[in-house]
Amino acid sequence: MAKAKSLEDYMEELEKIMNDLEREDLALEEAFKLYHNGMKVLKSCNDAIDKVEKKLIVLEEE
Amino acid sequence: MENEQVYSVSQVNLYIKNMFTREHVLNNIYIKGEVSNCKYHSSGHIYFTLKDGKGQMACVMFAGQRSGLSFRMSEGQSIIVLGSISVYERDGKYQLYARQIFLDGLGALYERYEQLKRELQKEGLFDSSHKKPIPFYNNRIGIVTASTGAAIHDIQTISARRNPYAQLILYPAKVQGEHAAETIVEGICRLQKENVDVIIVGRGGGSIEDLWAFNEEIVARAIYSCKVPVISAVGHETDTTIADYVADLRAPTPSAAAELAVCEIREVQSGLEISRVQMAYLLKRKITQNREQIERYKLKLELLSPAYQLRQKKQYLVDCEERMRELMKLKLQRKKHQLAVYMERMRGLSPLEKLQSGYGFVTDSKGGVVRSVKEISIGDEITISLSDGDMKAIVEQKRARRR
Repeated sequence: MAKAKSLEDYMEELEKIMNDLEREDLALEEAFKLYHNGMKVLKSCNDAIDKVEKKLIVLEEE
Repeated sequence: MENEQVYSVSQVNLYIKNMFTREHVLNNIYIKGEVSNCKYHSSGHIYFTLKDGKGQMACVMFAGQRSGLSFRMSEGQSIIVLGSISVYERDGKYQLYARQIFLDGLGALYERYEQLKRELQKEGLFDSSHKKPIPFYNNRIGIVTASTGAAIHDIQTISARRNPYAQLILYPAKVQGEHAAETIVEGICRLQKENVDVIIVGRGGGSIEDLWAFNEEIVARAIYSCKVPVISAVGHETDTTIADYVADLRAPTPSAAAELAVCEIREVQSGLEISRVQMAYLLKRKITQNREQIERYKLKLELLSPAYQLRQKKQYLVDCEERMRELMKLKLQRKKHQLAVYMERMRGLSPLEKLQSGYGFVTDSKGGVVRSVKEISIGDEITISLSDGDMKAIVEQKRARRR
């Protein structure tokens, strides 16, 4: 099973997107694409946080 | 006597002291015996005598070493002292300088601890190169500890405060007593299958025997081979177990472990919000930049366009015309002025002016101007013009005269 991306992976992606967006020579079209991507990653971040308050799970002995 | 070297007492004492110092065995030695004549001095130093059935030895534990003693020594106790043997020069006596003192029985445990620690260290179980970094954001946090006790309670409290969305999964282990180590190992194995991001292994404080499970080799090996990063949190800050050495990260207490494993969710969320704003800003800036670039191109293009060029040339022509006109006007004025000057001069030279002042103008019968008497013969008809008319005359006489 491929492990789902962690919040840290997403944050790293965000960081990269922003660095790219800061580049002077970036084409506008590319910028739009990056921005779009960034918004998607942000959503993924929020999804990853999964805002449900969790109760302690206690494992039973097998 | 004369040829023999004579030494002072202190020289010899120093010499003997150096002999002790060079002896490695004496510098790090465990000695077992019974406490007698124990005095806690007000300076913090402890003086006592260690003895067995056949002998005795003076001992001192300096105030600076007191952390190596975790109980109150009293007469008759059976203890093991770790320290070095050296000479007290002033008295010329050797004594044991204690660094750590254990109650006997525990001494054996410590030995096992020290030996296992040495072995595992040699084997590389404590190598920092093997240690996995603890992820910053952990969604699922495995915990191996007792289901009752301060440790799980502290972890739950801190976790809920920092990030209520983090899922805690507890494997209730026995943390002391018989088979405690086995349940801890089992917990580490089980939690790995639960797809957790990090595992906290620990318990609250206790005596060295209470913490002993965390000094067991099977626990150390389970932590070492665990695929998920492990944070150890055993006892208090001052207790260091083998598990602490092997773990990827050592937390001084279970509470501290929770702080390390569970991130502050508000920070994460505000970080995301900052990212969102930043991205929007960057895109906006990009758009503005592009707009400005377009404006610049537009201007450039306009400058290069044929229409603009034509306009430019027309303007040039208009300018030329204007200049020519100006120049012409200037020239004309200058000529007019010159003409006036000439006219003035002309007036001065006019023959009519001369006639006015009594001069006459002589022409012959053919109308030619007569300038010399030689051109005229006696009897020739001449015309004399004066200012107001002409007269005809016949020449009667002529005489040349030099003027």
